[in-house]
Parts: sequence; C-alpha cells; structure tokens
Amino acid sequence: MGSFLDDNITTQIKEVFTNLVNPVHILVFTSKENCEYCEDTRLLLEEVCGLSDELHYQPVDIDTDAKLAKEYLIDRTPAVAVLGMVDDKQTDHGIRFSGIPAGHEFSALIHSIISVSRQETGISSQTQAFLDSLKSPVHLEIFTTPT
Amino acid sequence: MVLAHRFALASQMVTSDAIEATEFPELADKYRVSGVPHTVINLGAGNLIGAAPEEMLVAEIQKTLK
Repeated sequence: MGSFLDDNITTQIKEVFTNLVNPVHILVFTSKENCEYCEDTRLLLEEVCGLSDELHYQPVDIDTDAKLAKEYLIDRTPAVAVLGMVDDKQTDHGIRFSGIPAGHEFSALIHSIISVSRQETGISSQTQAFLDSLKSPVHLEIFTTPT
Repeated sequence: MVLAHRFALASQMVTSDAIEATEFPELADKYRVSGVPHTVINLGAGNLIGAAPEEMLVAEIQKTLK
C-alpha cells in the first residue's frame, strides 16, 4: 500500500471521504495485452478504495470476464466505472474514466466518487429540468490530458 | 468533477466518459482533438472545445439533438 499516493494526499483523501454517505462500487477494467497503464490503474484504484469502508473495489479482466465488460459497455482499457449504491440497489449512472485517472483526472475521480455517494449533482434547477426532458440518450466523451 | 459526469449522475439518459487523450490517440484523432478539454457529443454529432460552463454544454446538447 501507499505506492501511488503520498502520506499527505492519503490524509487529504481520507478527510474528504468522511463526507461519503452511500457506498460506491468501483469497477476497474483491465486487459493483459497491449495495456501500458492497466496495472497502474488497478493498483491506484485499489489503493483509493482502501481509504474508505464505503468504497467497494472490483477488478475485471475484460478477456476472462467479457460478459461483464459488455454489460458495462467497456471496449477499451484501462477503464473505470463509478457505480452508485442507494438503499442497497446498485445503479450505473454511466460515469466512466478511460485511461489512468491520474493528474487532473485524479481529482475528477475523487469528486465523482463523492458526488455519486452523496447523490449530489451540483447543477442548476434549469439544467436538471432540461436533463429530465431528454427523450433520447446523450453520450458525452471528454478528452483530457494528465497535465 | 467533470461537468459531463454531473450530467450523467443527474440523468439516466446521459452517459459520460472522461478519456485520457494520450492513451487513446486513435480515438482522439478520429474526433480531431487538438486542445483539451474537448467534449464530443453522441459520437461526433456535436463538439465543445475548451472548459465550458453548464449552460454552454446544455446549449450544445440541445443543438446536437435538433
């Protein structure tokens, strides 16, 4: 433990994780072939999930568990799915990270975990009304870089 | 958190994937990603370049769905 996060960061994350309300289930999809960051992603998420009892970590090898990968529409690795659990019911909100969530993505990951756990979106009522009116699916892909 | 992830949490109709561009260069090339953040809506039907406030992402989604 402690190979990715230094003591300072670990302390900070543990502190913000005291705000978790509901459990969060985190699936980490990896593959053995042609995946430079799969092992690091798996270890990073394992470490993060070890910082709170509310976080449930599940590694998934997409080659040996293709069914689960398909169920969560994963076709590239590494990938992370952040699932909510409210009243013991697991809910896939469609929140994914492709590639290792390091750098900027790391804080986005931590914020996603907290928001999913608290079921707080932080968006305006106007935006919520618009989203509630959607009749067809909307898939958003946000390209970022580590720095 | 990524704004798009907030939208995904707020609506079961919305899914959101934060993609590390340097790890998936073919995908980034496909959508002609040159600056980040770059948001692609429904597989290229819409695009939003740069960090955008909530209203701009809503407007772009509306435009894409029309």
